[in-house]
Amino acid sequence: MSVITLARPAAARVGPRRPGPSGPSRRRRLVGLAFAAPAIVYLAVFQLFPVLYGLYLSLTGYSPLDRGAPRFVGLDNYLALADSAAFLQSLKVTAQFVAEVLPFAVGIALGLALLANRKVRGIGLWRAGLFLPRIVPLTAVSLIWLWLYSPDGWFNSLLAGVGLQPHDWLLDEDTALHAVAVMRVWKALGGNMVLFLAGLQAIPKTLYEAAALDGAGAWARFRHVTLPGLRPVMVYVITVNIVYLAQSFAEIFILTGGGPLGSTTTTNFLIYQEAFQNNQFGSASAMAFVLFALIFAFSYASMRGIGRRS
Amino acid sequence: MPIPATRRVTLAAACAGVLLAAACGTGGGATSGKSGGLTVWFPGNSAPEIDLVTKTLVPEFEKANNVKVEITYVDWGQISPKLNAALAAGTAPDLFGHGPAAAAGFVRTGRIAKLDDRVAKLPAADREDLAAYLEGGKVGGGQYMIPLSGQGTLIAYRKDLLTAAGLDPAAPPKTWAEAYEAARKLTVKEGGAVSRAGLLLQSAKTQRVQTFLTLLASEGGSLLTAGGDKPAWNSPEGARALEYFTRLYQGEGAVANQLGADFANQPAAQNPLATGKAAMVMATSGQVIQIAKARPELADRLGVLPPLATATAKTFGGAGPGLFLNADSKNQELAWKFIEFMLSKQVSERYARAAGALPVRASAASGAYAAEQPLLKPFIEAAPAYVASPNVPAWVQVRDVLDKHIEQALAGKAPAAQALAAAAAEATPLLAGK
Repeated sequence: MSVITLARPAAARVGPRRPGPSGPSRRRRLVGLAFAAPAIVYLAVFQLFPVLYGLYLSLTGYSPLDRGAPRFVGLDNYLALADSAAFLQSLKVTAQFVAEVLPFAVGIALGLALLANRKVRGIGLWRAGLFLPRIVPLTAVSLIWLWLYSPDGWFNSLLAGVGLQPHDWLLDEDTALHAVAVMRVWKALGGNMVLFLAGLQAIPKTLYEAAALDGAGAWARFRHVTLPGLRPVMVYVITVNIVYLAQSFAEIFILTGGGPLGSTTTTNFLIYQEAFQNNQFGSASAMAFVLFALIFAFSYASMRGIGRRS
Repeated sequence: MPIPATRRVTLAAACAGVLLAAACGTGGGATSGKSGGLTVWFPGNSAPEIDLVTKTLVPEFEKANNVKVEITYVDWGQISPKLNAALAAGTAPDLFGHGPAAAAGFVRTGRIAKLDDRVAKLPAADREDLAAYLEGGKVGGGQYMIPLSGQGTLIAYRKDLLTAAGLDPAAPPKTWAEAYEAARKLTVKEGGAVSRAGLLLQSAKTQRVQTFLTLLASEGGSLLTAGGDKPAWNSPEGARALEYFTRLYQGEGAVANQLGADFANQPAAQNPLATGKAAMVMATSGQVIQIAKARPELADRLGVLPPLATATAKTFGGAGPGLFLNADSKNQELAWKFIEFMLSKQVSERYARAAGALPVRASAASGAYAAEQPLLKPFIEAAPAYVASPNVPAWVQVRDVLDKHIEQALAGKAPAAQALAAAAAEATPLLAGK
């Protein structure tokens, strides 16, 4: 993948300080600012302000039903989380869910991208078919899989076909999270595959030709040309997947409702329960910021870890 | 033609203003405080009910009162989050529907209006006719919710399956012990697992608390102390009730499967009673009627047991969802008119029929709806045996705590008495308001 670096001319950096903008230049800046204003206002009002307000709420006790203003409690909400068995359990479930989905969502997508990166008849249809799950809303996908996992659903029909007893996939503590993970892997494959495909097509063919001339076999070319060439895409795919998976909510809400026995209660689902069922917005906001910090740390670590090797 | 810079600035600023206004406009919603019309949120997604309310009842009310009514149906799972957000933002509707369990929380925060004075002005005959279910809308003796229907759960059964198992459908079980013995005969097992349940009680999230309440009340116990400020479920009656519930799923004598399944909210045709995957199922009147509608060939083969007894015969039920009047509404008079309209004899019966619910008026027991629905009769007759969830401010959180520990017991992770004691320890501070 090629990288374009934009740099200011040296003269601009070391030259004498320029005088203030002339009339037309100033007008151009004002015009630019005016055009950017809607986006700036949008970001400030709908992105930055809610985050800052959430941070403020995390330091308060607040129920939306109460008529009073949020009550400042300092770090109490954060300290309470350290002793909250439900919160710690939800972090464990979230980590397990990410760990179950991520390797398959990345590994299988890479394999599919390698298969799709061929010039054969009907490859466009193949690529479109693989990408399809990506464009279907997660809620709709979850509802379809709810039926697939139901007692009379497709998976149990398969079991019955080979003479096995049906299984309550989403009602069994031992299988519920794995069942959701399988669905999530399927959902993530299309998007990841397209990113890998773009990465594969950006690797210069000459590198493969040079490697072949040096006697490299298929595995050696994959290991020493393809993987290093895909590294920037890999960093992006893994980071984005960690961010999305660690915030899983819709699929949990629809498929399991956090059960059975809390075995699928991810942190995001717990935040929802705390905020909208228990009306504890302060505590829920604190959970959200702890989750944010953990996602940021893991994403940063993965970027640094994979990036350093490149 | 090039546009001068000053005009471009003006144009850009105007565009920004329009976009900002549009962006801000997307946050709109309910219209509490609009003096002209009335805003009402109903919970649920029942198509027959939505059709009746939006296409027939509301136009009738609008015409009679020359007003505009804006009706919004909100899915049950979303009603609390949406209401909380709207109440906090001051955009909540004039009237909103919710379950009786939510009443005490709204009362504590002063979000709903007290309705005693308005109820007192109803004709005496109406008050008497509505008395049984109005009781379920009271908190601390004050009337805060007006139920639109009643609700109750009983055990529905398949007569053909009872006959096939050698049981007499004309002499069905009368006690929980007899029901279990019948269930053992009705249960079919394949490979050691239950493939046809003899007796399915509701075991999905929160529903299992209602089932536990049924069994507990039948044992003569109660969920909370008389003052409602302490748990009372961790009693010998509670332990026996939960042991019975657990025995249905665990061990050699298991007679139920699909622990945790929400078959109460499945399409009627997929209910285990309709598919024949269960012989006796705990169900509401609406579910039984819907099953008979979805599978007309089963209508004659369905029966409903009167409330089963242990020490006494009790079952979960009482006031169904009803309307709350927003304390901040500027349309309180019009809102009350709408409540009166919904409570009127004709409208309330049509509403109950569409919702498949129990009519809110006692006199409806001899009305056309009850006459045309023989499966409704046992639910109406069971009204004196109905026992409802406690109306205390922290009930929703307390219920979730109890639900969590009941689930542990049902899954065989904790003995019944231990699970109930743990639930009591966790719920006590909540009930004390801490």
